[in-house]
Amino acid sequence: MTGYLCLRNLVKSYDGKINAVDDISIDIARGEFVTFLGPSGSGKTTTLSMIAGFEQPSSGAIELGGRDLLLSKPYQRNIGMVFQNYALFPHMSALQNVIFPLKMRHFPGREIGARADKMLALVGLSAFAHRYPRELSGGQQQRVALARGLVFNPDVLLLDEPLGALDKNLREQMQVEIKRIHRELAITTIYVTHDQTEAMTMSDRIVVFSSGRLVQIGTPLEVYDRPASRFVAEFIGDSNIFAGTIDPSQPDIVDLAGVGQVRVAAAGAPHGAVDLMIRPEKLRAEAGDAAPDLNRFEMTIDDIINYGDSILVIGKTRGLPLRARLFGAKADTLSPGRVLRLTWAPADAHILARR
Amino acid sequence: MPRHFPLVMAVIVAIFLLAPIAIIVPMSFSTAISFEFPPPGYWLGYYARYFHSAAWLNATANSFAIAFGSMNLTMLVAVPAAFGYVRYRFRGKSAMNLIVMLPLIVPGVVSALGYYGLFARMHLVGTHFGMIVAHSVLSIPVVFLVIAASLKGFDRNLERAAYSAGAGPLRTFLWVTLPVLRPGILVGALFAFLHSFNEAVVAIFIAGRDAVTLPKKMFESIRLESDPVLAVVSTLLTGAMLAGVLVSVFIRQRAARAT
Repeated sequence: MTGYLCLRNLVKSYDGKINAVDDISIDIARGEFVTFLGPSGSGKTTTLSMIAGFEQPSSGAIELGGRDLLLSKPYQRNIGMVFQNYALFPHMSALQNVIFPLKMRHFPGREIGARADKMLALVGLSAFAHRYPRELSGGQQQRVALARGLVFNPDVLLLDEPLGALDKNLREQMQVEIKRIHRELAITTIYVTHDQTEAMTMSDRIVVFSSGRLVQIGTPLEVYDRPASRFVAEFIGDSNIFAGTIDPSQPDIVDLAGVGQVRVAAAGAPHGAVDLMIRPEKLRAEAGDAAPDLNRFEMTIDDIINYGDSILVIGKTRGLPLRARLFGAKADTLSPGRVLRLTWAPADAHILARR
Repeated sequence: MPRHFPLVMAVIVAIFLLAPIAIIVPMSFSTAISFEFPPPGYWLGYYARYFHSAAWLNATANSFAIAFGSMNLTMLVAVPAAFGYVRYRFRGKSAMNLIVMLPLIVPGVVSALGYYGLFARMHLVGTHFGMIVAHSVLSIPVVFLVIAASLKGFDRNLERAAYSAGAGPLRTFLWVTLPVLRPGILVGALFAFLHSFNEAVVAIFIAGRDAVTLPKKMFESIRLESDPVLAVVSTLLTGAMLAGVLVSVFIRQRAARAT
């Protein structure tokens, strides 16, 4: 896969000492939906700003369709942008906001109205075209911003935490909406967020950032099931992590400190000091006739959180913290202080080399 | 404290503020040959005299010309200064802030005396240009503060959004930055105009004979002739100021509703 939008060894430093963005290289395919995921200050927004042209990289290159993007000013790039605070022009109506890029980019006069109308219809705001931003709700304002960022057929659409200011229900609704629009327009999209659920549900690929560095890039399932590091494992989803060692002569056995030996899937696992990660939903309540190759944990329950569709059980196994998410279990059989017997399959654990 | 105390105080303050107007306005319609209250009768003769007096009309024209010039010069200095001050870091930034604010600290009479000494040597006493410069220096600090405040509240993502919409720096400034800042700029301009239009102390020192403004002419009139036309001018001036204040309130309210 050759990239359409390519970041090559991108570095940004504001003070010449600390790199806010540290040697980032990513190839993004045409039409791909890529999410930059990371905690605040991890460099994801700075990287986005460099693609938009608001920041100049200290070193490295950005290419779009084989052309050097860094040679052009932000207003010469054909890139749409949506901001967390919407950044709608307050003195223009929704329609005028959407028309603005068409005027600035000298679209032919008769095309302008039709394009703006079509885009407002796409985001479902045709009836609100003549309202001013202050007369629109947060979700509606963000739709206008989305229409404004898309109306001029940009090569790339950049979204900087676009749903950060919305409440949870609206956020989920807008996630679906943005995905639908992405499907319809097939536009190359980069989505910045610190919300791992958003990243999991929307992206073709996720790029995980930490302290200015790229720590993992992959599909949501790859990142979730096979995190590249303990940071990724803990940042995305809920996880149980145990320290252990693997003897090279027995690559399918991990000796967990304080717990004992467990069996894992051997292929490709590192040796020596390792971390073993197992997601809480991979643990199951023991059913009696368990298969012989399953691993077992005995868990003393501290706390129970009932989500309705599942129950999160928080406790300890041999003094080490453990979380299990059980589906179809009866809440009344679980109570703090009781011992719960859990099993898990060797293939469900993920081994992380220790650094 | 009695329950009605605040109300009573408010009424007393209002009486003190409004009493001069309540006396001046009826006097402008008076038939008396000098200042007399209550007026013995009413007519519009002194209004007619004002509109036929070359000296008063000349002072009025001077006031408008100087206020307009001072407003423009003030904006020309204060707007770029506020942009530079809010948006950039540079050596001597706090020194610049202090220098811009200095005219607020110096008593008006002292400034006026200073201008008189300096402008006499530069042959600027009695010129429109001298008046415009002196009035601008005095209104720049306030206008600078007003514009800097609205610039600090300006969301720079608006400019970034304009860039990504394809607008270069000039078009971004004209289509986005300026319209969004317009309320602050209008209020600043209005202040500069009214300040110059009202200013008496500096005018008395440096307006000379050729750049006489309304406040200076009024001062001369009360000293030399106690002509009831003065009441007419005062009434008109009060009306004009009231209109100016109402316009500024209107601008602020519209701006408050827009955000």
